[in-house]
Amino acid sequence: MSIVTVQLGQCGNQIGFEVFDALFNDSHCSRGLCSKRENEAYQASCKERFFSEEENGVPVARAVLVDMEPKVINQTLSKAACSGRWKYGQHSCFCQKQGSGNNWAYGYSVHGPRHEESIMNLIRKEVEKCESLSGFFIIMSMAGGTGSGLGAFVTQNLQDQYSSALKMNQIIWPYGTGEVIVQNYNSILTLSHLYRSSDALLVHENDAVHKICVKLMNIKQVSFCDINQVLAHQLGSVFQPTYSGEGLFHYRRNPLGDLMENLVPHPEFKMLGVRNIPQMSENSLAYSTFTWAGLLKHLRQMLISNAKMEEGIDWQVRPPLSGLPPLGKMSVNKETHFNTSIANLVILRGKDVQSADVGAFKDPALYTSWLEPVHAFSVWKTQRAFRKYEKSAALVSNSQSLVKPLDMIVGKAWNMFASRAYLHQYTKFGIEEEDFLDSFTLLEQVIASYCNL
Amino acid sequence: MGRRRLRRPDPADAARALPEAIAALSRTLPAAPSPETFRRAKFDHPEAAPALWRLLFRVLSPLPADGASASLALEAQARWVKSALRSQGYPRRALVQLPDDGSQGGRELLLALAWLLARGPLPERLLTQSHVRLGDEIPVCECEALASPGLPAPSVEAEGCVDIRHLQWLMGKLRLQWRNLMASQQEQCALLGKLLRRLEMENAQLEAALEWRHRELIFWQWMDTVLDACSPEASPLTFLPRIPEPGPGAARLLARELQTLQEELREAAEARRAAWQAVVGGHGPEWRAARRALQTAVAQDLAALQRAWEQDEGRARPHGPRRLVRTEAKVPGGPGLWAAEATEALRAREACLEAVLRQLQGQCRQELARLAGARPGLIWVPPPAR
Repeated sequence: MSIVTVQLGQCGNQIGFEVFDALFNDSHCSRGLCSKRENEAYQASCKERFFSEEENGVPVARAVLVDMEPKVINQTLSKAACSGRWKYGQHSCFCQKQGSGNNWAYGYSVHGPRHEESIMNLIRKEVEKCESLSGFFIIMSMAGGTGSGLGAFVTQNLQDQYSSALKMNQIIWPYGTGEVIVQNYNSILTLSHLYRSSDALLVHENDAVHKICVKLMNIKQVSFCDINQVLAHQLGSVFQPTYSGEGLFHYRRNPLGDLMENLVPHPEFKMLGVRNIPQMSENSLAYSTFTWAGLLKHLRQMLISNAKMEEGIDWQVRPPLSGLPPLGKMSVNKETHFNTSIANLVILRGKDVQSADVGAFKDPALYTSWLEPVHAFSVWKTQRAFRKYEKSAALVSNSQSLVKPLDMIVGKAWNMFASRAYLHQYTKFGIEEEDFLDSFTLLEQVIASYCNL
Repeated sequence: MGRRRLRRPDPADAARALPEAIAALSRTLPAAPSPETFRRAKFDHPEAAPALWRLLFRVLSPLPADGASASLALEAQARWVKSALRSQGYPRRALVQLPDDGSQGGRELLLALAWLLARGPLPERLLTQSHVRLGDEIPVCECEALASPGLPAPSVEAEGCVDIRHLQWLMGKLRLQWRNLMASQQEQCALLGKLLRRLEMENAQLEAALEWRHRELIFWQWMDTVLDACSPEASPLTFLPRIPEPGPGAARLLARELQTLQEELREAAEARRAAWQAVVGGHGPEWRAARRALQTAVAQDLAALQRAWEQDEGRARPHGPRRLVRTEAKVPGGPGLWAAEATEALRAREACLEAVLRQLQGQCRQELARLAGARPGLIWVPPPAR
């Protein structure tokens, strides 16, 4: 089953390119560490999901590119075409000649309705190319102007027109010390709108990925390209094919559906985070070997202590002893707190994957009291290695790990709102104070729900 | 009575008959060249040679063609065809002497193709190889049933109040599964469409094969003219089917190989057993008792297998999927099962699955009753009866 990706704004388009590139390169990687037949099945599965075929055999990404200015889209299109290995469809992009000046309300209330028909037409054409549609990826930033406001509008439209298809928004959480003054307003508006119309919000934090680039990849001057490549690696390690229950050569047909079923069925808990291990520069890769036991131990501790990478993990954080009542309600002020999960999905790729023991993730102490590990935990596997990593593991979790950042943003936005700063930019284009209040209410509810786990 | 006019064959019919026969052949064989190419091959035109090399490659490959083998260079295909024909006993030396680059030899290749066609039901064999798998096969194998771990033990839920969030989770999961189901059904429709199109193509090939059988005679008459045009050889090429007999030497070779394999297997088994003993080897009465219990269980399983085998009186119980095919009522059974046996196997399986279903339904009912009782004040609204 196929996934259609909607790339929104500068952020969405740059990341989208890296994602398709990573998926394609991995599926054509010669070092899959598996049999030829296995490799072909893997390739075919990846291809069907993310690419369609054109007459001369060059795969075309199943994507729609949207931006209000042409520069980034043109760069993205030419980068893909230059690689000669895959490309975007000629008629899959929509752009205008003017920007939107980082104005969320303009993106949502003006650009959205004005260009609704053209954008939805592009999406419809892409959907018609799919034999069967699993759902949509929508890649966008949370705090920007075009990407965020328009993204919220487009997601709502997708909810109306494709109500049975699944929607996962890949949201880029801005740097804490961001440059845009109104980024917190934009963030809360985006999040609250998406919470109502999307099925899952997979959050990628710029700060966390930046640290990975510096500490693990040893990159001196971190550019957005580096960040996007790490992001793409994370997404690829989640969505590349894995075995369905029937075993070798049979790959899961609907990973998006299976993931959502396992992680976000509850309407109040839609926020997901990704961690993966190991993460390193390709030069170091040749000199490293790993065991599944070691990888899984680190991954589990990353989850528990809310660490985003395998360096600097706090090993002091422990799950509460089973049998005792949970350690009281979470306070966002405490520094080190045990990160309670609602549900987790572990994805293992590589050599000897059958021998990997995930028992430690089935510990009830990791999870909230109202969901047992048998419902809360799932694991996907494949022998086929991912991008030259002999063994690699990814963890998608629905947990408390985003509560603190969310609370910070809501707090800052509220402070600005209390003094009515910059509100005219929004009210000018139809986003009233009531809309802001609704957003605050919804997000406070989300924070409270997560805290009460 | 008037004089009966004999129906004389219309000369126009005769002229058409040969191209139609060759066209039928062309439609039956996979990747076959056009009838025009066959005609050119008789006169050894160079353009015909590559197409015929490729056709022979496709026809002689033991496995269905996949992308990799089809993209082999013409030279590699030509060499492979030569060695394959040689191993099948093709007598004409002129073929071996053709250049490897595949540029010449249309007439010789045509002869080789005709020789293959004469030896056995080639179009039928190729069609069987590539037939569309419809899923109308049933598995016949005891191994599955014996190896299954049995029904999972029903889990005992801890008593206590039920968190409403758990129920909301379950509701949400049901809704998502519903949506996934709809997407799967859409996929199934698309795949069925694809399947139908492939079946149509296969039907066209089958019709072509039938037509070919009706018109064969004309083709063989034409092939005789081709043979006349070729240079004669010491051992004349006959278009009679010939099945090569394995000589006594071959049997001795096989027996020796079998013996070697058996010895190797015995050694490997011994090594494995010793290694296992070293790993598992324990001491003490419990270990010995456990081991004895295991040995008894294994002996029982083996005995059951033995009994099942003896019941069938050693009739070969094939494993793997079997297609259901209609035959004439009085025809003695070929390699396969009678419908009655197949039905019995299916009925047994159905009974087994029904038992499992009933048990699972019972478990669900119990769980629902428990949940309903746990929260007084909750109203359960059953779905509308369909």
